[in-house]
Amino acid sequence: MPEVLEKFLAEMGFALLEYTGNRAFLPLAELPPWFRELWGESDSVTIPVALADKSAFLENFLLEAEAFWQEASSAACRSETWLERSSSGRDIPLQARALHLGGKRIIAISSPDPEFREQVRILQTARNALLDHERLSREIQKKEILLHCIVHDLSQPLSVMHVAMDCLSEEPISEHSKQFLTLGKLASNQQETMIRDILHTFAADLQASLDAGIEGTASADLLECARKSMTVLLPTFETKGVRLRLDTGADLARPWPVRAEESRLQRIFSNLLENALRYTPAGASVTVGVEDEGAFLKAYVEDEGPGLPKDLRPEQIFGLFMKGKQSGGKAGLGLYFCRITVERWGGSIGCVTLPARGSRFWFRIPRAAEGARPSTTDVKSTRFTPENRALHTHPLRILFADDQKDIRTLTTYQLKRNGHKVVAVRNGQDALKAFRKKQFDVILLDQEMPGLTGDQVAQAIRKIEAGKKKSHTFLVAATGNTGSEDIDRLKALGFDSVLSKPFRLEDLHAILHATPPGRAASLDHTGATRAGNVDFSILLTRVGGDERLLARMIQTFLHDTPKRLAAIASALRRQDVEDLASLAHALKGSISIFGAEAARLKAQDLQEMARSGNLESAQPLMGSLKEEIANLLANLRGYAQQTPARPTSHRAKRQRPPRKRGEPRR
Amino acid sequence: MLQKKICMLGSFAVGKTSLVRRFVEGFYSDVYQTTVGVKIDKKNIQVNGGEVSLVLWDIYGEDDYQKMRWSYLRGASGYLLVADGTRRATLEKARQLEERARQEAGAIPFVFVINKCDLRQDWEVDDSFEMQMRAQNWSLLRSSAKTGEGVEEAFSLLAQKMLG
Repeated sequence: MPEVLEKFLAEMGFALLEYTGNRAFLPLAELPPWFRELWGESDSVTIPVALADKSAFLENFLLEAEAFWQEASSAACRSETWLERSSSGRDIPLQARALHLGGKRIIAISSPDPEFREQVRILQTARNALLDHERLSREIQKKEILLHCIVHDLSQPLSVMHVAMDCLSEEPISEHSKQFLTLGKLASNQQETMIRDILHTFAADLQASLDAGIEGTASADLLECARKSMTVLLPTFETKGVRLRLDTGADLARPWPVRAEESRLQRIFSNLLENALRYTPAGASVTVGVEDEGAFLKAYVEDEGPGLPKDLRPEQIFGLFMKGKQSGGKAGLGLYFCRITVERWGGSIGCVTLPARGSRFWFRIPRAAEGARPSTTDVKSTRFTPENRALHTHPLRILFADDQKDIRTLTTYQLKRNGHKVVAVRNGQDALKAFRKKQFDVILLDQEMPGLTGDQVAQAIRKIEAGKKKSHTFLVAATGNTGSEDIDRLKALGFDSVLSKPFRLEDLHAILHATPPGRAASLDHTGATRAGNVDFSILLTRVGGDERLLARMIQTFLHDTPKRLAAIASALRRQDVEDLASLAHALKGSISIFGAEAARLKAQDLQEMARSGNLESAQPLMGSLKEEIANLLANLRGYAQQTPARPTSHRAKRQRPPRKRGEPRR
Repeated sequence: MLQKKICMLGSFAVGKTSLVRRFVEGFYSDVYQTTVGVKIDKKNIQVNGGEVSLVLWDIYGEDDYQKMRWSYLRGASGYLLVADGTRRATLEKARQLEERARQEAGAIPFVFVINKCDLRQDWEVDDSFEMQMRAQNWSLLRSSAKTGEGVEEAFSLLAQKMLG
């Protein structure tokens, strides 16, 4: 080999060896220092080196190289980097390459030390970053779980408080006590808002980056959201004596589409309105308005309070846990939630003290194309409206699973009071057992129960329904986690609706009222009011609101009806058409008191059949009449158990209006 | 002396190099130093009354930056499959590596080691996972390169399995 080439290879740190077979190599040039450090001196280039015996890696590589030489492939045959430890303990990085040169089988080995160190440095940085990311993700996950546990634990007693106060408000209590009750409700509502703020804020923070893309295509109507939030908060404003008005300076008839998610946009308005109310004195006003800024639409809430706190800069007001000195016990999360949510949508938020008095909180969000996809993600889209409430006032067969005894007791009491049949169980296993035994219209499942969770029960129920081809049961999840991701997850698990915890009975009633009739009133084929579907509120109105009187009427009906049915059955057996017509007529009259239209129609059919003298179809008709009556009796019995009747004399005395001066004593 | 080649397989940063170092040199360092390429070590151990030389191929952990070169398994008598008990994803990765190793090298003996058992408070492995693995006849051990727990046992068990 020419001397210059030898020097070049030595300079480059290459060991060039010819493979002589039998795992031995003949050096073709002077061997570099690293080679000698690793595998000893080789004074003569004519003595073959048994490299494969010295290096396990090269032994392995030799197999690849031999295949390469045999195939005479043009593709490169290179090894990755490997490390050999010298006798002095130094790790030397090496790379090998098989070559065909002048008909010789060559292996070139080099030590790419500087490049290798650089490669290690880059990979070390990248992998450290990956490990940090994994570690942080785990930390966030742990905190999220902890947060949800805390929220769950805080929500449980709140649920009891809400339901207990709801129950209490329906009891006959003095006006004085009602005021205390209102105060209690306000305080528990405030507590609930704070808990929700914590949950929503942290959840929003966590999801900020993930949601950006999803929400880019969603839209909501800015003005519509403002109106909805105002409607919800109006009673609170009225209680405090603060006027709430919408600025009519803008065109309120046109759409105001923005790229935002509706429920969170409403929450922003609610937070700003609650904030304004907190600082506005009685007799003053809070004004909500919208403005068109071209690519952005702007909303603002103006109050007539003392203006922004002087110790905080406007941007600080939207900071985490930031609250003024007169914050009214809030957690300092509401405005922070507003900022991170608006910024996520590509908007901005700010506030300013107004020249005269008060302050203005504003935010602007990118305008959405009109007709963009509405951002409704809520399962509660089937929720209560006055229209469907009127349609579905029927009693339902409800299975209620909650591990908390107080919640079970109070909710069951209230549901039964509303005429529903309730089976309450304390865990998921019992819920599944009950579901297997009985048919229910609605199943309300707490999410976090020992053993089987609400999610698991829902999945099992849907599986059973699919397997046995059972009809679809309306499943409601009771949960403290009602972010759009949670709701999507619950939907995917088979839930039809979500009740956020701590729940109020009015929310539950709203969901029950909105339960699709095909599921709830599964036995109703006639379209008439079912025998079980008694609207006790209407009945109560008919008897002047006297629950005791109604209970008395029900007890009479419960007592008399079985006897009437027995008499009808007897008349039918005897084919006594005259007696049968008379008895069916009497039964029809008593049924009609309770508005059970389907049962009344069947009694009427029987009466007419008897009058016609043709009793051919009377037996099956009698069967279905008995079924309707049984439903009605069961329903009335449930009501009667909740409301024991008192002697009529007491009732009459209480209901009698006060006698006017000069009016004769009755 | 009988010589047996063992490969170390597993995700990056599960502790393969630390296990080898603990086993061969009795040394441990808390500083994570990523492995680039392959490093080969040897250690002689007594198995069933005879001495065996274990040739340990410490191969870089597979990730997005470096893909495993399966030709390294050529001639291997067994492998130590390593996962990090504090990182659930590395357990799933171990399953994938085992499947691939079976395709490449056939059903050669292996021992599954869940490393970092000194960090039990951060453990992401539940008992059911271990039961599931054992139900598939996997030889499973918990180890800590830091404390040395289970390290000798893992290599010895693998050596015994390799020697039949």
